[in-house]
Amino acid sequence: MKKLLTATATLGLAFGLAGAAQAEGYKIGISNTVQGNGWREEMVCAMKAQALVSGKVESLNIAHRNTDAAGQLEDMRNLIQAGVNAIVVNPANADGINAAIKEATDAGIVVVAVDQAVTEPSAYILSNNQEQYAYLGAKWLFETMGGKGAVVYMRGAAGAGADNDRDAGFKRALAEFPEVTVAQETFTGWQQDQGKQQILDFIATGVPFEGIWTSGIDNVIVDALVESGAPLVPVVGADNAGFVGQLANTPGLVGAAVTNPGSVGGAGVALAIQILDGQKPASNTVLVDPSLWANNADDGKAQIAAAQNPNLDPEWPVSVSIPGWTTYSMDQIIACKGPGE
Amino acid sequence: MTQTLAKHGWTLGLAALFAALLILTKMIQPDFGLSGLDSLGRAALPFAFATAAMTVVVLAGGIDLSVASMMAVASVTGARLMDGATETEAVWIVGFVLVVGLCMGAINGALIVFTRVPDIVVTLSMLFVWEGTALLILQGPEGGCAVWLTNLILGGLTLPLLPEGLTNWLPKSVVLVIVVLGVIWVPIRRSKLGLSIYAVGSDPLAAYRSGVSLGQTRIIAYALAGLLAALGGLSLTMSTGIGEPIPGPYLMASVAAVVLGGVALTGGKGGLMGPILAVFVLRLVRMDLTLLSVDPNVTTIIEGTIMVVVVMFGGLLALRGRIR
Repeated sequence: MKKLLTATATLGLAFGLAGAAQAEGYKIGISNTVQGNGWREEMVCAMKAQALVSGKVESLNIAHRNTDAAGQLEDMRNLIQAGVNAIVVNPANADGINAAIKEATDAGIVVVAVDQAVTEPSAYILSNNQEQYAYLGAKWLFETMGGKGAVVYMRGAAGAGADNDRDAGFKRALAEFPEVTVAQETFTGWQQDQGKQQILDFIATGVPFEGIWTSGIDNVIVDALVESGAPLVPVVGADNAGFVGQLANTPGLVGAAVTNPGSVGGAGVALAIQILDGQKPASNTVLVDPSLWANNADDGKAQIAAAQNPNLDPEWPVSVSIPGWTTYSMDQIIACKGPGE
Repeated sequence: MTQTLAKHGWTLGLAALFAALLILTKMIQPDFGLSGLDSLGRAALPFAFATAAMTVVVLAGGIDLSVASMMAVASVTGARLMDGATETEAVWIVGFVLVVGLCMGAINGALIVFTRVPDIVVTLSMLFVWEGTALLILQGPEGGCAVWLTNLILGGLTLPLLPEGLTNWLPKSVVLVIVVLGVIWVPIRRSKLGLSIYAVGSDPLAAYRSGVSLGQTRIIAYALAGLLAALGGLSLTMSTGIGEPIPGPYLMASVAAVVLGGVALTGGKGGLMGPILAVFVLRLVRMDLTLLSVDPNVTTIIEGTIMVVVVMFGGLLALRGRIR
């Protein structure tokens, strides 16, 4: 027991010294509730890279695991306990973590919510416009289908906040095209294997369809169409590296990628540092609007060609940086190293 | 004295481990204090109820894989009904949610007893059934929560008559867990029902020959688990203020706490105290790893390793005690 006490005391002392020895700089906490998904991994790497290149961040405390809003409350409170100066959070949903955000901002901690919005007014929000994301892609798809026909609607995860927002955008576009019908609606759960199985099952039923809208599980859908010999109907996906590659190289494929940058995480860290430096933005909310790259238009074709990068993981979005916000290089985000690593 | 010590050795060991971890936390973060304890208490709340639910069925020789899904059903039912309801209506809603939990658990138990399909298969199927039910009740994370319910777990305890300083250090969330579990479990543990649950779990044949109704006891154990899961679901709504239809990570965590708490997965052995202490130990480990800013991909490895080591170490000690 005595030995244990001495050991823990030494350990404690060592940590204390390590803390004192480091130069001054901001301590930033990160909270994310989806692990092992390409988009979220890119987001975390963007946060690390931006913290590193800023030169102003001493350390990052990263709480990155698969959990729910209650688990995120726990993570955020732990970050408050760790004494961070700012927390950059991808919220599990818009309302569930308000209590912890309020506790953080009351303690003088800057909170920036990235990707999805929160309803707590003391937080800064830097989010991708998910409703517009779905509307943009769906509108292009229905126009490309000639304004009529049946569409396969492959959503994300049932009950997720972003999926609800995208559903609203999809329905808005659908209302503008009365002759377009939904042949089949599925939830891919944002899982590659699940999405592929669902489209193969649907092809096997023989029900005709004229277009496919996906919520980011895209390259495996094109694979399935090619492998099963089904007609290559227009496909909408996200700007994931694998799908953008297919848009450039798959003969006969007409498709469009809608940007949904995971690098919004890096922008969130940049915003947090700005606020800590005393430069508050004019508004608490900054919306990053998506853009659409279609391979049947010249400007889209050019953007798709420019985005090709063999070093990127096929599940990562190709928009690895956000101009005006992030300052790291392509190599730095791929290296995925934060301060002190 | 030595007999009590030996009987509660595992629980005492966990309490010592928890105390050591608290000291370690204070060393890592000298500012760790009342707000830290409060964070810990609130983080442990849903895990504590999920673990209590799992403990009861494991003691009765079963397992319930649908715990997290039942929590989701309870959470969204409460959140949906409380959205726009008055504070007094919320009292009835809480009662209703608890009855829903009791019924879900009883359905699980009845299916196991009457169909004779193994418990692991039945509750695995019910995991999906309850998950779908939760999504039918609420499509996305939304709903509301009564203010008095949220206040139940907010901050430190203050009692009338007693000076604030005396009780304020104890988080209300911890008191809630102790009081609620005490009110439910202690009377059962001391009654014929409690004895039956342990008997069915340790040796069903002997229990049957002693006149214990196996089917009835099992159904009651599962119904109790449903009730406790509903409390866990309500605690989620209390913390977040809304209901989430997608179940959280409570299934595996509850099994882990049951094992770490010294309850035999084969049934009939252990208590409720150990697993609840284990929940607090596991939450505190998570807090320490965040305070130390350990690489997030490494934290789960450390959490798992700690569990295996503690259970192995405890088993070794128990074995040595028996030989002597």
